[in-house]
Amino acid sequence: MSLKGKVALVTGGSRGIGRAITLKLASEGADVIINYFRKTSSAEATAQEAQAKGVRAHIIKANLAEAEKIDSMFDEIAAKFGRLDILVSNAASGVARAGLELDTRGWQWTMDINARAFLLCAQRAARLMPSGGKMVAISSLGSRLVWPIYTAVGVSKAALEMLVRYLAIELAPKGIAVNGVAPGAVETEALKLYSQAAPGQAVKSTPVGRMVQPEDVANVVTFLCTDAADMVRGQIIVIDGGMSLTTSGPLVVEGGSHG
Amino acid sequence: MSVQTSVEETVKKIAMRILRKPEATFSTAASFKDYDADSLDIVQILVAVEDTFDIELDDEELKNINNIGGFVGYIERKVAEKAKR
Repeated sequence: MSLKGKVALVTGGSRGIGRAITLKLASEGADVIINYFRKTSSAEATAQEAQAKGVRAHIIKANLAEAEKIDSMFDEIAAKFGRLDILVSNAASGVARAGLELDTRGWQWTMDINARAFLLCAQRAARLMPSGGKMVAISSLGSRLVWPIYTAVGVSKAALEMLVRYLAIELAPKGIAVNGVAPGAVETEALKLYSQAAPGQAVKSTPVGRMVQPEDVANVVTFLCTDAADMVRGQIIVIDGGMSLTTSGPLVVEGGSHG
Repeated sequence: MSVQTSVEETVKKIAMRILRKPEATFSTAASFKDYDADSLDIVQILVAVEDTFDIELDDEELKNINNIGGFVGYIERKVAEKAKR
């Protein structure tokens, strides 16, 4: 599954799921560009970890809610690397409120970062992929399931997934594959913002018997970035240990083995 | 204009614009919560301050700050640290 010599951009690539994706792509040989929002020290630490795998790593600070910042980021990528082979649209944010409590600013912020940023990144990235490439968007099961105070994020992820389908068709003739992944509750810092539930509860409702880890997501994303996945187009792959296939409640079958 | 005044003036402009409040109501004794700031307001203020002064604010250190005056003082220290480097 070698990605040796490829150039990959991971938005929100310094922490959590993005960090795991960055490091997995690097371990497969890809040079990585790590976009981050605020914390330079986190981005530098992830870049160093990537470099230790023998690849080039470059960090770019950019708030993806601003179209001009996205443009500047791609100007920098074009100047420094001259091309892009892989775009992983992972950066996400959102206002955690119930629908009736949402204001227009919170809605706009969430939609801009979670949905519009992928559109703008894909438009610029496609120009840097004259010989084809791969795009993977990180969605969420919240695009199809209803979770408390996840309203704006869930809707933005639904928009993101439809964008994946449209772009997959539009970019297929250009040799660019576009897909997405929809993880369930992944054990990261961000999860604490939305879930009051104890991790044990999430484990109980996951047939596999453990929570999804950032590395689980990184493995699937990396597969989608290889030619082995060439005929997978416009799909959203759910990564949830079977959680969304079942109704809520304790689902672990007695006597089952979870390794 | 002293550095101190300059930082305070800039923070006032940034914060009052994002909070959608008249600059005349700005008070260093108040907290952002007194202006009905929500978490998005706070993030946008922090990002705008970081971009404007080209500094990085530490979320852990920010937790110990109680009012806007303390916030301005914290930014001044960060700006001074940057100038020394």
